[in-house]
Amino acid sequence: MDRVQVVVSGAGAISTLGAGGEEILQALAAGRRGFSPLASSPFDPVKTGVHWAGLLAFAPEEHFGEKNYRVIDRTGQLVLIAAGAALADAGLDPAAVGEREVGLVLGTLFGSVNTIAAFDRRGVEAGPKYVKPLDFANSVINAAAGQAAIWHDLRGVNSTVAGGGSAGIQALAQAFDLIRGGRSKVLLAGGAEELSLEALFGFGRAGLLAKADAENPPFPEPFGAGSAGAVLSEGAALLLLETVESARQRGARTLGAIRGHGAAFDPGQFRQEEPAAEAIARAIRLALEDAGWNADEADLLVVSASGIPRLDRCEALALGQVFGERLATLPFLAPKRGLGETLGAGGALAALVALAALRRGVVPAQAGFGLDPEVTALRPPDRAARLGGRRAILVGLGLDGAAAALALEGFAETGGEEIA
Amino acid sequence: MPARVVVTGIGLVTSIGKGREEVWRNLLAGKSGISPVESFDTGRHAANLGGEIKNFSPDAGFRRLDPRSVGRASQLAVGAARLALEDAGLADDLARIPAHRLGVAMGTTSGEPGMVEDFDDLLMAGQLDLIGPEIATLYPSHVIAAHIAAEFGCGGPATMLPAACAAGNYAIGWSLDALRAGRADLMLAGGADAFSRITYTGFARLGAIAPELCQPFDKNRKGMVPGEGAAVLVLERLEDARSRGARIYAEVAGYGLSCDAHHMTAAHPEGDGAARAMREALRHAGLDAAAVAYVSAHGTGTPTNDRLETKAMKRVFGERRVPASSIKSMLGHTMGAASAIESAVCSLAVAENRVPPTINFAEPDPDCDLDCVPNEAREMAVGVAMNNAYAFGGNNASVIFRQLA
Repeated sequence: MDRVQVVVSGAGAISTLGAGGEEILQALAAGRRGFSPLASSPFDPVKTGVHWAGLLAFAPEEHFGEKNYRVIDRTGQLVLIAAGAALADAGLDPAAVGEREVGLVLGTLFGSVNTIAAFDRRGVEAGPKYVKPLDFANSVINAAAGQAAIWHDLRGVNSTVAGGGSAGIQALAQAFDLIRGGRSKVLLAGGAEELSLEALFGFGRAGLLAKADAENPPFPEPFGAGSAGAVLSEGAALLLLETVESARQRGARTLGAIRGHGAAFDPGQFRQEEPAAEAIARAIRLALEDAGWNADEADLLVVSASGIPRLDRCEALALGQVFGERLATLPFLAPKRGLGETLGAGGALAALVALAALRRGVVPAQAGFGLDPEVTALRPPDRAARLGGRRAILVGLGLDGAAAALALEGFAETGGEEIA
Repeated sequence: MPARVVVTGIGLVTSIGKGREEVWRNLLAGKSGISPVESFDTGRHAANLGGEIKNFSPDAGFRRLDPRSVGRASQLAVGAARLALEDAGLADDLARIPAHRLGVAMGTTSGEPGMVEDFDDLLMAGQLDLIGPEIATLYPSHVIAAHIAAEFGCGGPATMLPAACAAGNYAIGWSLDALRAGRADLMLAGGADAFSRITYTGFARLGAIAPELCQPFDKNRKGMVPGEGAAVLVLERLEDARSRGARIYAEVAGYGLSCDAHHMTAAHPEGDGAARAMREALRHAGLDAAAVAYVSAHGTGTPTNDRLETKAMKRVFGERRVPASSIKSMLGHTMGAASAIESAVCSLAVAENRVPPTINFAEPDPDCDLDCVPNEAREMAVGVAMNNAYAFGGNNASVIFRQLA
């Protein structure tokens, strides 16, 4: 069959565990947690009751130099950094590729909620004449994608996808479809999320966060016994996707290829495990089918689990339905254990980590992982696991009931030779 | 040959009425939904007009979810979705399609900004303890699509494309692809935005709000008027629509997206991105510019938009004056709902060979020398209609609707 092959030829990220897939993978292997205390941060624990989060510390001037980055807010800056890194990694200059050809598909949930809320409060407190027009420009949910387009001269398709916790995978899926459908040639795709008072307060109030206080950090445990919730985090990750022909013409090194995706929705919004698992399993099976893979051909599982018991149980049940007894021997990664719940960025960060593991052909041992055998048949990753092949399934779930899965193939160091 | 996709249901919730028949009748009659804002005090703004939906009662849309448990944009959207399913003859017969083959794609500019506004009011009052546990799951914009999917039991793909004021067109384009790829058998596609203090404050601060009238393409136009609304289209593959004997309004022939990469709030000075979106939509639909009989213009009524939009249209259509009207003259700018409502207009224009006017038109502008269908609806052959939408962030989207041959 003559299928358009969509390859990954670059990746860039900013996260609390590092800027590259390999670095994040090492951190996960070491059991590191990318969480910091929020005291003396812009997100006052006195207001939110939340003491820890995956807070990024970065100096914008190191990334943007003399260019005027002050017109771009936090989410926008995260996207610019990830986009710049992905383009550099791919050796691609959008201006040299020609108009129409490079675009951006970005997943996010809250958008620039800090800007939106500050704008609103200033309008009410000081008066509408005192709000900054620039803040209004950044208040639309697609602002970061628009800012990145201006900064990096991306004139192709520019799309923002707000698909709940699966937004990052949905964005990768949309980009994959646009390229294999012949609509786009080169796209940056992934997601970004910033921390905000609103999200911290809201997740805390909803009882979705792992237990912690000022002195004791949280330890969210995906599929873990006694895990009370996730840790909210910020970050951004983008992959550069293009057709295999485009990559060959450029002489680009390729890291992997997207082979398929699937999406489903649980109208019960993941409140009951059985229908929730059915929807999640359907998304995974659709991704497998789209890729032309059998369930037993998946070599690596990258789970969405973040330590929120309700969601984790639904996902675990679905994984059991799809992979059955193989779960006990299927190598897996749970990036949110160390990265936290980065919402719109999660799917793309997971893809970066997956590509790093697939490139090596090994999933490293992950220290101290406390899986609850009542919840999942996955086995604690106490030892490094050699992968049987280079095919990964990524799962992304949101609280709203949306499930998405991605079939991602990784290439070995040698790159493009493995393209069928 | 990709599968053909058609519009078989139209649901509208607007400031000039609800449902396809009432809204279409009022659009053709040139009725305005613009009036002084009531939902918050505009005393400190340099403007007081809005396109609010007055006395909106959400109950009619809901059977399963509690309408009071969701934000206003979701209320408008679920209402529009139910009207669309009723219009398609599927409201009580949706079970004929397997739940996992029902998908939802919606666009928005702001999602549920009312949630942030409530949060801010309580934060400023030092009363955050009054906020309930739902806010985290009710604010992110994806909830609009999620609430439609939950209300109607849709188990297929459910997504949200918050491409600001072009978002409705993004959602329809996404749905066209999903149906062609066989990812769903029926898509509820559209857009929704609720009237918002944040949005109003922003446009007022930009000096963009018209003081008295929204007058797209008029020489003396003074600005846009923020509005609210929702539109949902029922989209199906042609063969499915025919086999269930559905009434078909129009075929969704193609779409095009582009980005200006120029400025966050101002369009490209030569209409570059807008023209590329139109050309890409024509290419995707396999049509020449000469085939387009009617354009639903973005036509916000701001001095800049209308001038640059005219330039962009000339780049695509040359000197041919394609009839191009803006219903924003009547509804104001309904943000993420706008291009969804305008997609409904294009579908109905194609179905009935009638096009709605641009009202409040008095004096021609040499910089906007379009045929904007001034003040009176027109009967004319509309074989092909193009819907254009432009957004903050330089996001441009054009969708083409065609009469079934």
